[in-house]
Amino acid sequence: MSEVQTVENMVSITIDGVEYKAKEGEYILNAARANDIFIPAICYLTRCSPTLACRICLVEADGKQVYSCNAKVKEGMEITVSTPDILAERRAMMEVYDVNHPLQCGVCDQSGECELQNYTLELAVDSQSYTIQDTKREATNWSSVLHYDPGLCIVCERCTTVCKDMIGDAAIKTTKRGGASLDKAWKDEMPKDAYAMWNKLQKSVIAPSNGTEHTNCSDCGECVAVCPVGALVSRDFVYTSNAWDLKKIPATCAHCSSGCQIYYETKPASIEDRTEKIFRVTNEWNYVSLCGAGRFGYDFENRTATKDATAFAATIEAFKKAKVINFNSVITNEEALMLQTLKEKLGVKLINREARAFQRFLGFYSEASGQSLYTLDFKEVMASDFVISVGSSLRNDNPNARYAFNNVQKLNKGAGLYFHPVGDTLVPTFGKNIEMFTHKVGHEEAALLFIIKLFADQDKLPDSVKEQLESDFVELLGGDTAKFEKAFEKMMKKKETFSLMVGEDLYFHEKAENLAKLIAVLEASSEVKVAMIPPKTNSLGVALICDLDDEAEGYTIGYNESGDFKLSALGDGDLDMPAMNQQEGTLTNMHKRVTPTNAALEYNGYVLNDIIREVASAPKETIMWTEHLPVSKGFKAVEFDSLPNHYTNDGVEHRGYLLESISREAKEISVDKFDDSNALEGEIAYRCNPQRQFNDFSDKAHQIFEGFGLYASPAKAETLGSKVEVEFANGKLTLDVIVDERMEGDIVAIPDFKSAENIYELFAGSRYQTVTIKEV
Amino acid sequence: MGLEQFKNRNVGTQNYKTLDLDHTPVTGMGQFKQVVSRTFKPELFVGLWVTFREMINALFRGKMHTTQYPFEKLPISPRYRAIHEMLRLLESGHYRCIGCGLCEKICISNCITMDTRYDENQRKEVSEYTINFGRCIFCGYCAEVCPELAIVHGPRYETASEQRASFSLFEDMLTPIDKLNLQQEYQGFGAVSPNADENIKKTPLAY
Amino acid sequence: MDATHLPEVTAAGVIIKAVLILAVVSAIAGFGTYIERKILAFMQRRYGPQHVGPYGLLQLIADGIKLFTKEDIIPQHANKIIFAVAPVITAATAFIALAAVPVFPDFTIPFIDVYVPSIASDINIGILFVLGMMAAGLYGPLLAGMAQANKWGIIGSARTAIQFLSYEVVTGLSILAPIMMVGSLSFVDFNDYQADGTWLVVYQPVAFILFLIAGFAETNRTPFDLLEHEAEVISGYVTEYSGMRWGLFFIGEYANMITIGVIASVVFLGGYNDFWIIPGWLMIIGKIAFSFFFMLWVRAAWPHVRPDQLMWLCWKVLMPLAVINVVITGIVIMLAQ
Ligand code: SF4
Ligand code: SF4
Ligand code: SF4
Ligand code: SF4
Ligand code: SF4
Ligand code: FES
Repeated sequence: MSEVQTVENMVSITIDGVEYKAKEGEYILNAARANDIFIPAICYLTRCSPTLACRICLVEADGKQVYSCNAKVKEGMEITVSTPDILAERRAMMEVYDVNHPLQCGVCDQSGECELQNYTLELAVDSQSYTIQDTKREATNWSSVLHYDPGLCIVCERCTTVCKDMIGDAAIKTTKRGGASLDKAWKDEMPKDAYAMWNKLQKSVIAPSNGTEHTNCSDCGECVAVCPVGALVSRDFVYTSNAWDLKKIPATCAHCSSGCQIYYETKPASIEDRTEKIFRVTNEWNYVSLCGAGRFGYDFENRTATKDATAFAATIEAFKKAKVINFNSVITNEEALMLQTLKEKLGVKLINREARAFQRFLGFYSEASGQSLYTLDFKEVMASDFVISVGSSLRNDNPNARYAFNNVQKLNKGAGLYFHPVGDTLVPTFGKNIEMFTHKVGHEEAALLFIIKLFADQDKLPDSVKEQLESDFVELLGGDTAKFEKAFEKMMKKKETFSLMVGEDLYFHEKAENLAKLIAVLEASSEVKVAMIPPKTNSLGVALICDLDDEAEGYTIGYNESGDFKLSALGDGDLDMPAMNQQEGTLTNMHKRVTPTNAALEYNGYVLNDIIREVASAPKETIMWTEHLPVSKGFKAVEFDSLPNHYTNDGVEHRGYLLESISREAKEISVDKFDDSNALEGEIAYRCNPQRQFNDFSDKAHQIFEGFGLYASPAKAETLGSKVEVEFANGKLTLDVIVDERMEGDIVAIPDFKSAENIYELFAGSRYQTVTIKEV
Repeated sequence: MGLEQFKNRNVGTQNYKTLDLDHTPVTGMGQFKQVVSRTFKPELFVGLWVTFREMINALFRGKMHTTQYPFEKLPISPRYRAIHEMLRLLESGHYRCIGCGLCEKICISNCITMDTRYDENQRKEVSEYTINFGRCIFCGYCAEVCPELAIVHGPRYETASEQRASFSLFEDMLTPIDKLNLQQEYQGFGAVSPNADENIKKTPLAY
Repeated sequence: MDATHLPEVTAAGVIIKAVLILAVVSAIAGFGTYIERKILAFMQRRYGPQHVGPYGLLQLIADGIKLFTKEDIIPQHANKIIFAVAPVITAATAFIALAAVPVFPDFTIPFIDVYVPSIASDINIGILFVLGMMAAGLYGPLLAGMAQANKWGIIGSARTAIQFLSYEVVTGLSILAPIMMVGSLSFVDFNDYQADGTWLVVYQPVAFILFLIAGFAETNRTPFDLLEHEAEVISGYVTEYSGMRWGLFFIGEYANMITIGVIASVVFLGGYNDFWIIPGWLMIIGKIAFSFFFMLWVRAAWPHVRPDQLMWLCWKVLMPLAVINVVITGIVIMLAQ
């Protein structure tokens, strides 16, 4: 779904006698919404497939009753939103929804933003004609975050749909309710669609699809977000606040590079404690999907900060003698610019490992491709119908990359190729047309060469590549050649747009330069376009803004990282800094978008700008840096306060602005020869966080339970025992073994979200290391 | 639209009666007559008698008029909007408030605050509830909006306090459990109307 | 009673008497305020003071403590000396007037054998002295009002000047007729004159009424409480007074009320003669008490008059009536001889 609407792909339709333009092939409902026409609809979710559970979206199109969420617009289509028949249907449906629905709006968490309430009022349902015996339905907790009250559930299936079509877990499904069956007499008495809807509704409730009481899912909470009623609520939030008491602060999630749109919803913590507290995080779920860290990991603010003048004076001293600033990517563009300014004025060195790796990779790529930025954003990936992933642990690295991969399978009848050394049981379940290559560590170049072989126009390839394409990559990458060829033929059917996502494995790769070149070659010679997953929150922004150094020595200031003097938003440093939910500023996300974020909570201490003002020079407010972000790198000179932050009804994102990709002359590409002996052998550890954990901040949040330990597949864990000592070339770690049900193979994962553990040092510039693991 | 209707400040029809008052005499004779008549009318003695009679009434006939205020109080109208009370369910003794937050929302002086939580019985528990009487203007909206007839106005009208903010807690307002039998239904804002039954549409039940 | 049988009046006796009067009268004056509040309350069907002490009796003490402990404020632009002295004038003259009034029957203190006379100083021009003293008392309000640099005070003292001066005339003239009949200015003679049981009021009803009216005016009581009428002039001549100075004015006022009561009782209502089986001392106390009550009663019942009405009443009604009364009395006496 590209944001550009060309005149060619538009059709004219008439809704209630007024003519509108709509995108060809769009559902009537979406076309109406894009034109700000209201059609009642409950079960449909933008970006997911229609489920036809509610049937309330009935409209008349060219004389026939159709479900507007499922019927596509045609040139000249005449649509009537309400006819007497349809109104009767809708009213009957709402009455049916209200049958046995508990009269508990007074306590319900959804009250005030409940779609059942809204439609009941909208359709003026003031009496009930239907009745059926109720079934006892008990509230349960599905997981550490999910609370399901089937009594309130209207079985719209939005939760199951989003979980399947967007998240990919398909962790919940409709199941038998076991209630009384409908009296057949109703069939003749009531409107047809309402009866059909009721018949289905009466038979079902939602339950975890693994047959147990618990979902064992990604705990993303997206099902909670989409639930139109109070049936699905997060356990932490149940009965703690009413929707209308909460103040919504539009922000950008600061946990990963997706930079999702979120609202921090705040109100005073309690009667005694009147300081604002975040009660939950919500999102525009029709247009953006969060992961568990974004939704539940919100209380990482630096609560105790004060303006400690002595600490501040010490900080100024420290900055004056500093040689190095060591920081990470959980930082706004403005702060990155401040640090860059410091480098320019005081000559300090800037160290940011993940951003530096990405910066180098991006540099190699743009040298080879002539573009300063990668080609696709992840919305374009989501709109493609063939998606390839290389060098990223899809399930853990970046939720939006994963959602895109999944959504392509579900919505675009797409196909996917997944290359990764660590086996995964979830990815193959995303769709039928997915081929997974669990290749050896070090064979990433082979993966890219293989892709080139599959998709590239051989004539456009440089010789250095062409000569390497002879080998049997399928075999090399751990697949079965014959089987793959058959599958690939099927996968390629009716495919038009191809996308490649690459991840952190490649940036931290020994042969990063070669890999970047191969990607450029692929793009130049095929339909496949690339999107890159920046390793951490604002790695892309930092990579563009800062002139990072590889190595540095001397007195070091650590900003949320280790150093001789430590600035910390976690409250454990020498000077307090505001956490991301206490700051305003912009972040650059993987969609190449610069998005604004706002302060949800009060912060009483010093900010980086105060320090910069003392040691160099700075404007009054942090956000005054926004307009000075480097235009030469694709930023725009706009003021912070003029940045928009919303979506419109047609799904167009108006959040900040898109980075501009700057083109230049591409260099002649010549790639190195792939050497398959480079593969790592032996016991291998992979630097990879569990789902919902990204950094110290997600770790600090009270609803994120994933611990710091050694993650291993069930089979591997069996052999390891419960606690192990992991020995690296340059250090040791003692870790608890945590089983990740969805991992496969022998490679173990060691998280890097705790900066204090210095995991980057242990892995020494790579994501994979051979280690020795001993049980202790 | 002209401003005429705003300029007419007569509210309702005015039914003033003019008293037939004496006119001040202007002639000497008139004045003389007035003096004579006033001198010989026993008006002054009537006055003395009236006051004396009232003294007797008060002292010996139990017609003392004073309400000894802090010790004695006059009954107030059931619709009077005084300090709030939180009622309990008569059957179970459980507090009526369900924690819906409507009172908190509607309160125009923003003086109601409440904390709620998910309790052990899977119910919404009102863990604390306060009204800041320093801000409350006794508008009665909270009582009117309350769907449970839980928050009502009680008869306690002494609102003076030593501080500007004076918070009443849930416990302070809740009917003491041992006085449950004395709990009065509130008749004012938000009470069930006498003809409520007529206005209800019945919902069919399957059993 | 035969004067010759009386023991000698010693200086000690007089001093004791004076102290006694001072103590008792100021106590009574204070108590009077309590009584006034009570009576007015009853007449309005209220309780009056009732919380301090039994029946509110100790209210008196509470008020006393309050008056004594209140800050003594003298306004910045007041004439300080006069401001300070004025209340003393009122109180002092009121008490001095009582010196020539028979307040209690005489008695002898046992053991030390000091004779305490009924009248502190039985000067034979008692009435004149009392009236003179009371007239002198007008300097109190007059000076107070003028000294305090307050417009309401000025109005208060202007009213004092006209009201007290005017009514002095009526008092004097009204009491002239009885004096003519008795032929003495001594209270004792008045008392003895009525020893036969026929009260002078029977002979001199008009004089009595005139005296009563004038008495109200002189003591600044409703309906003639113009000097400090709150509804008109804030507090008139006492506007700026507070604490004990303010209290002195009121002790003076209540002492004057008692004085008027005493004069009325002795001159018109049979004095301290025994009546039937009731002893004389009880009679006089009863009479004074009644006249005091009457003043309160009137206050409860009647509205007050305007200053112009007050003047009109004085000069156009009362004064002529008094003169006529004196003339008629004179003629009758002349004819009777
Ligand atoms: S789900 Fe909606 S309709 Fe049902 S109780 Fe909650 S707020 Fe009311
Ligand atoms: S839990 Fe919510 S979203 Fe899911 S089916 Fe029920 S009502 Fe729909
Ligand atoms: S929390 Fe996420 S993964 Fe789990 S059931 Fe809900 S939508 Fe699915
Ligand atoms: S009476 Fe009015 S101001 Fe007072 S608490 Fe109720 S709603 Fe608020
Ligand atoms: S409106 Fe009534 S039931 Fe709702 S929170 Fe207030 S007092 Fe409780
Ligand atoms: S929205 Fe179309 S069927 Fe529910």
